[in-house]
This record gives sequence, structure tokens and C-alpha cells, in this order.
Amino acid sequence: MIDSIVAKVRDGGRVSAEEALALYHHAPTHVLGRLADGIRLRKHPEQVVTYIIDRNVNYTNICVARCNFCAFYRPVGSGEGYVLGFEEIFHKIDETIAVGGNQLLLQGGHNPDLPIQWYEDLFRGVKARYPDFKLHALSPPEVLHISRLNQLSTTQVIERLVAAGLDSIPGGGAEILVDRVRKLLNCYSKATSDEWIGIMRQAHLAGLRTTATMMYGTVETDEERIEHMMRLRDLQDETGGFTAFITWSYQPEHTEHGGFEETGVDYLRTLALSRIVLDNFDNLQASWVTQGGKVGQLSLAYGANDMGSVMIEENVVRAAGAAYCMDELEIVVNIEDAGFLPKRRNMHYEILGDPIFREREVPRMLALATARADGDTSVPDELKNYEARSRHGRQLRLGQ
Amino acid sequence: MSTVTAFDVYVDRINRGEPLSADEIRELAVTPDILSLGMLADTVRRRLHETRATFLRVADVAFDNQAMLGQSPAAREIRLTGSPSTLAAAVAAVEAARAVAGDRKVAGFSWDDIARWSAGASTGQVLARLRQAGLDAIVDLPLDVIDDPRYAVESLKDAGFLQLRLTISKAPADARTPLLIRAAQLQDSAGAIHALNPLPLSLSTFRPTTGYEDVKMVALARLAAPNVPSIQVDWQRYGPKLAQVALTFGADDIDGVSASDEAPEGRRRAPRAEIERNIEAAGLLPVERDGWFNLLQS
Repeated sequence: MIDSIVAKVRDGGRVSAEEALALYHHAPTHVLGRLADGIRLRKHPEQVVTYIIDRNVNYTNICVARCNFCAFYRPVGSGEGYVLGFEEIFHKIDETIAVGGNQLLLQGGHNPDLPIQWYEDLFRGVKARYPDFKLHALSPPEVLHISRLNQLSTTQVIERLVAAGLDSIPGGGAEILVDRVRKLLNCYSKATSDEWIGIMRQAHLAGLRTTATMMYGTVETDEERIEHMMRLRDLQDETGGFTAFITWSYQPEHTEHGGFEETGVDYLRTLALSRIVLDNFDNLQASWVTQGGKVGQLSLAYGANDMGSVMIEENVVRAAGAAYCMDELEIVVNIEDAGFLPKRRNMHYEILGDPIFREREVPRMLALATARADGDTSVPDELKNYEARSRHGRQLRLGQ
Repeated sequence: MSTVTAFDVYVDRINRGEPLSADEIRELAVTPDILSLGMLADTVRRRLHETRATFLRVADVAFDNQAMLGQSPAAREIRLTGSPSTLAAAVAAVEAARAVAGDRKVAGFSWDDIARWSAGASTGQVLARLRQAGLDAIVDLPLDVIDDPRYAVESLKDAGFLQLRLTISKAPADARTPLLIRAAQLQDSAGAIHALNPLPLSLSTFRPTTGYEDVKMVALARLAAPNVPSIQVDWQRYGPKLAQVALTFGADDIDGVSASDEAPEGRRRAPRAEIERNIEAAGLLPVERDGWFNLLQS
């Protein structure tokens, strides 16, 4: 049976969920890799591997969702909770532009004290100062949170945020798009599978491009991992709105859920299977931030055609134990060492050019920045302009 | 497709137990197709070891810190680290380790140390003195550093050191393929080599090796030296992820596993359950071994 599925994939055929499961269970890792690599080569015969210079900014760590796999969030009232000020975010943008970046990946906790006006003012402020700078912001669960908090439909939220400057939506919060899994991970209430898919559909219909993600290795079965991929494939057939797929392994340290991280071989097999199943996705990213530079680079042999983001800053995965860092130079070295041609891109996967450090001097980045320095508990001045929902938030405003 | 056909021919030959020539190894060394290279190496590996992957728990003890010798009873090898300035200091460290090692292997030092201690005596005398003190193995026999590897191997054999392990100190990737071919030639002519560790023991922070480079070197080692029983990768130096992936590229033995289950080493911690989980996730059967490559259990 495996031989016939392998032949089918080599001939460009589409696999069913059952066939995908059979491949995952029975195909040797090199066979999965070669199939995935063949698909990558068909889609990207020019042997280019892309990457983006952007900054992964988490505007708040205060969150009411309480996903049990997350080590980043702090509950309302926590002394370690923060909200970044607009000026802090502008400063991060300045630093991003200095190293050749063109976008913020802006995501955060479900903070009940940030009404939609806060996001609108932030986005407008960014666009006023940096008209060409892109905002890849607010995953579907954040959009849903804002809609609930402000008693707006998700369509209205997307419309208002786009009007304020939102350029695209990241695929965070997907975890595994199976409600049994979401209930066990305590992330069902932040967004059900249908809600996540529904918001992505709305975004695509509104003309936004988005990414799709999968965090695996918690409580899901192999069948559920494949069901997740199938749901993404179906929506992509319908809208064509996803630019890329990114998968990474659950990072267990300091989380309530605990347990172990899946291994490097598991990652490469899952990535390769993703490339095989998601035959309507052009781009697959390597998750070097969870796998490290070496397995991140090896991803390029297992179906990935993109090294993701230089990141500059990372907070969420670091909180759960992963602390890998690669600046543009290292990413380029890894791409070229693997025999590919490195090119900078934007979120739409349009090629922007050759490595920026070959065009001008760029400072080396030997560690990823954090949202804030340890112990910085300052409260941004502008927060007093926005109505807080929580008692702690209201008290904080009164103290300002 | 022609590349695939060429690799298929190689697979057939490997399955028949036919080694690849030095010229063929040099040709494979420049291929960017690491997956096909990995498949070839995995074919050799499975012919030699089937689905078994071994691991060795080691207690690394500084030669001048004998208070630590009683630690890590789970270790199957006591490995003395550091470089004593004199042979007498080395002998004293070996004797102290031997006293607590029981039936476990005591290993330590590099060929550089042996050469230095041989300044006023013959190499044979130095090796005999260390053997007499209870040393079972020299840890580092770096092919890229030793002037005359044949002499080193013969001297070690004459002194009663068996199951030798060849290593690479810091040779860059493009200089390592000839060393791997040389390892196979040494084994043909001198024998006594049991393991080859093809990844550099000295890691450069300025120019770290890449994942492609590492797995390619492991695969080339397996293909170049099918006459050397084990291809090793170091768990602590290269980390669980790379070490595990290397098992699918021809490695069959994970060396340097910490013997302490409680060491707070974060993501590099190496409790036995963790290494067994990694080996099983690579589709292989984990088997702990002792310092003499005897299998302890499955």
C-alpha cells in the first residue's frame, strides 16, 4: 500500500487522510523527506529559499484565555503582567528598520483592558509614522477576543482593523483544529476549530492574506494532526488565502500541561507530511526557533522552502524553554550551505532582494530581544485613555 | 532522475556488502542530496546493526578532582577529562579512577598527551605505564592532529589497548572526507578500530557546523568505513535533536550521555528515558552498552 501512495505522490496526486496516516506511520523518514523535497522542487524549481526580516512583538502578556500549554501569559492582576506603550513599539520598529526589517508580527494575550480603540490607535500611529511598514497582526483568537470584548462581529473587527492599518493576519492560535484537543488544552473557549477557520475565511474574503500554523505534540492523535491539515487544505481550496504553513512542536517547560517536547525526527516527519498533504500551499516555513539552527536547516530537505523570520525579538517560545537565535547572516549561511539561493521576502512572499547585510552594514544580533527588560513594570501613559474592563485594570488607570 | 538511478545502483551494491571506493566517497561528498546520502548510509547501518542503536552513559571527571569519582554510579565508563602536565599525575588520576571503577571502563587523555609525556621516554613505555595503572582507553585519537595515525594505532595495540576510537578534533568539513577514507584504510591495515566519531570535538562558536554538514559527515563516515563497526555521535556536544537525526544518517551509537538523571541541564538533560525516547522516535531500538561495547539490555 505504501508503495502505491508513494507513487501517487511522486506523480503529483493528492493524498486522502487515510493515505496520509499510512505514510506517516509506515514510510521511512528518508522516503517522507524525498517525497516532500520533490514537491518543494516542483513548486520552487529556482532553488530559492526565502526569509523575512521582521520583529515578533508581543504587545501584552496579560491573558484571560489560560491555555494550559502556554508559559507566556500572566493572569489579570499579576505583578508580571505588562502592556507595551505605543512609544515602546515605535522604538522596536525603529530598531527593526535599522536591521532591514519591514514588518511587525504583532500578537499578544487576550487582555480585557484593551478595547478595539487601543488597537486602532496603535495601528494608525504606526502607519502615520511608518507608511510603508507592514502590520502582520492579531491571530484569529485575538480577533475573536476583540469582537467579544467590544460586542462587534468578527467581520466588523476585521474591517475596522484593516481601516486602521492591518495588513495581514498571522495563523497563531490554531494549535490543533480539533475540538476534542482544544478542550483538553483549555483553548476551546478562546476559539473553537470552526471559529478559527471561520475568521480566516472572513479575512481571506476581505482580501487579506494570512498564514496557517500547527502546534503539535500535546494530546492529539496522529489522526487529529492530519485532520488539522485537512481542514487547512479545504479552506485553501476554497479561498486560496493562505500564503504559508508553519508547524512547530509544543514547548513544555514552565507550562501547566508539562510533558515532553517531541523529537527532531518527529518534527522533520511532520513537516514532510505537511508538505505532502498541503499540496495547495506554496510555502512551508522551517521552525528554527523551536528546533534550533541545525534541524531548522535540515527542514530545507524535508519540504520547507522558507527559513521564516529573523525575528529580532521572541517571547512566547522562549518562556517555554526554547532560546535559539539566528540573525540574518546565520540564516543566509545556513541557506547557502544547504545549496540554496537566499532571498529576502515580504509577507506575500514577494522577493525583496538579496541579503541586506551584503548591501550595507548591519549590526550582528547574537541574542533575541525580549518584550521588556526584566523588572520593568511601567504602565504606558496612554492606557488611561482607554476604558478598562477588569477591576485591576480600572484601579491601574486610577493610579495613573 | 539520473541521480536517483545512480543512488539505486549504490544501494544494490551496499546491500550485497560491497564497499564504495575512495573515489566514489569523494564524489558523494559533494552531493547536495543529503537525503539520498542518508538512505545509502542507513542501508549500511542496518546491514551492520539492524534496528539497534546503542548509547553509553559516561561520567566525565576532571583528572584533578578525585572527589567526584564516586558520583554517577549509573555510568558505564569513567572518562577522565583535562590534560595532566606529567605522566605521574596522569597515572595517579588513573589509579584513583580504577579504584572506584569496578568493572567499568576507565578512559582518558588524548594522543597529544601521550606524545608530550613521551618526550623523555618511549611511547610504548608511556602507554604501558598507563595500562598498568588501569587505563582502558585513550579518549581522543584525532585523525586531523596525529602526525602518524598508523604508528599511533600500532603503538596502542602493542600496549594492549583494544577497541580504539578515532575522532576528529576540528578539521573543517571539506578536509574531513580524506580523514574518513584514511580511517577505513587504517582499519584494513592495522585493525583494532571499533568506533569512528566523525563530528569535530572542538566546536567553534565563530563558525559552528551546520545541520547539513553534520549529517552529511555522519553519512560519509558510515559509507567510507563500513569496516569500522560503530559510527558515533556525541549527545552532549551536538544535542538531542542532531544526535537523533544522525541516527537516521548512519550513526549507530550515541556517546557521551550524562550518567546523572538529575543534572539540571535544561534542554540538554539526558535521563535514560529521554535518550530511549529519542532513539525509539527515530524508529530504532535503544540498547544501553558498556564501555567495551557489550550490550547491557534492550
